[in-house]
Amino acid sequence: MLAWRVAVRMTSSSDGAGRRWYSHPYNRPDFYRLAAGLSWVPRRLRLALARQIGRLTPSLMPTERAAIENAMTRFTGATGSQLDALTVRVFTDFAMCFSDLVSTNRQPAALRTSYVGNVEGVERLAKLSSGLISLTAHVGNWELAGRLLAGRSARPTHVVVAPDEARDLRRWVRRDGEGVRFVTRSRPTVSLELLAALRRGEVVGVQGDRALGTKGDVEIPFFGRPARFPLGPFLLSSRVGVPLLPAFCLLDAQYRYVVKIAEPFTAARGEEEGAARTWVAALETIVREYPTQWFNFFDIWEPFDG
Amino acid sequence: MEIDKILEALKDILVERLRFEPSRLPELSLATMLPKNIEGSLGLDSLDFIELSIGIEERFGFVIDESQDLEAHFQSLGTLVEYVSSRMADR
Repeated sequence: MLAWRVAVRMTSSSDGAGRRWYSHPYNRPDFYRLAAGLSWVPRRLRLALARQIGRLTPSLMPTERAAIENAMTRFTGATGSQLDALTVRVFTDFAMCFSDLVSTNRQPAALRTSYVGNVEGVERLAKLSSGLISLTAHVGNWELAGRLLAGRSARPTHVVVAPDEARDLRRWVRRDGEGVRFVTRSRPTVSLELLAALRRGEVVGVQGDRALGTKGDVEIPFFGRPARFPLGPFLLSSRVGVPLLPAFCLLDAQYRYVVKIAEPFTAARGEEEGAARTWVAALETIVREYPTQWFNFFDIWEPFDG
Repeated sequence: MEIDKILEALKDILVERLRFEPSRLPELSLATMLPKNIEGSLGLDSLDFIELSIGIEERFGFVIDESQDLEAHFQSLGTLVEYVSSRMADR
């Protein structure tokens, strides 16, 4: 039985403001502008340039490098030079995905689609006529996945994002349109909008890998060690009775994207934590297959200061 | 439905579904704010609002209107009582 709820109480204005779990100085519009400025470069050359930049990055970001080394060790058991190679590969893979995202975000959908080599499990999406919650994570090109799925589902898609991302980076990656609308978590009543959208048969896209640092988190073993995951998507599913659909967009060895849509499942009332465990198992499977596309550059097991 | 009865029913929902401490019920009034990050509010987060909205639907027997901007109705116990009252009157 789920035991996530704690007593509601009178608060001071600082209560519940949410814990800031991770930030780095490079998530700035300048870098997005620079990446977008290279969108005219042929993709093959652009990705080669992105890989070069990615190779330089670990030395500029020692804290992030350490976090990635820790994650790669846990995901793969690698040590020594193999671990070093995997760690650098995370940064190069990220640079390519980032370049593709920023380059294509303001371009016609056909350009994004041309980068996709294969879509696995698309029949699962086609079978779902009700509202649904698309669950993804910071693995591969998750933002591209959202736009691609929105096109496939032919239904309005509400993508839930952190408010700071939306404010600073909206112009580069948070562009509404083509059936996608970005919704920030800044207002607690946003859940009412999402509830209504799901009831209208629309799609809600959420990241299921970053805890909020609030009572809405649940602790689940991730690669053998407890990590915190957000419970909100599973609560929404159980309350509206809509399925959760894990979906990922991953870069393959030929630099084409493969979209993987896993088996949908629904969270039963009172069984939200169990549903979260199902999601984490699906996430582990993908990360085991594509460890260098794990793009959480912080310690996922200890994400909060103090 | 009378305002007082709606307010009492909302308090019941807070206790039963959101585990509000019953001994603190006398502190609540129509002026009590609901969302977190507001001084003196109940500090409800997004998950609490899901619980509250489902509780209201079950208790009062209507579906919360999805075509409206609901945020204003869920700002305080007073605005929520007004909203429930108007929805009950529409039935």
